[in-house]
Amino acid sequence: MTLNHFATMVIFALAVSAAFAFLSKNTTRERVRYAVWAFLAFMLVAIGIGWLMYPFSH
Amino acid sequence: MAETRKGSISPALVLVAAVAGWLVPGLGHALLQRWGKAAVYFAGVAALAVLGLLMRGNVFSSNSADAFDMLGFLADIGSGLFYFLAGTINPAGGDVSRAAGDYGTRLFATAGVLNLLFVLELLHIGFGSKEEGHAAG
Repeated sequence: MTLNHFATMVIFALAVSAAFAFLSKNTTRERVRYAVWAFLAFMLVAIGIGWLMYPFSH
Repeated sequence: MAETRKGSISPALVLVAAVAGWLVPGLGHALLQRWGKAAVYFAGVAALAVLGLLMRGNVFSSNSADAFDMLGFLADIGSGLFYFLAGTINPAGGDVSRAAGDYGTRLFATAGVLNLLFVLELLHIGFGSKEEGHAAG
């Protein structure tokens, strides 16, 4: 099975966000808010760092 | 204030649940009747571990002299059953000569570390040091 870097990152972010939400929050509402926030933070930070490193690939 | 569920869980049950939770992710929480957490924890660890193996991630063994390999082993063994079934799920073994294999190695290690976190949480719940809201299941 082959997944590209982005697909792997999305799956990683989904699983870890959900896990952290259930570990740290008690109500369903809090968990959903936290999981969405953590997932978006994972994605934005990874894409941001990717763009910052882009000049070094040339 | 959230209603708490500190209960009278016997220490023996907590320890059995911790071992069960390590071996089968989520089973420990199921034994403590935290059904929602049990389902999410199993799904999360299973998805990461199986995907990591299918991507031909490397699974570290205990007989390595290298310190980083030993850390990798400690992370991998955290996934319990999936570590022991690694050879069955992916008989071809690891292949980190491709990027996918490298990603798979990280996914499988993440599954193990997450499961160890879940077991720690279970011990906190069982020994009453973690307050849970009424919807915490």
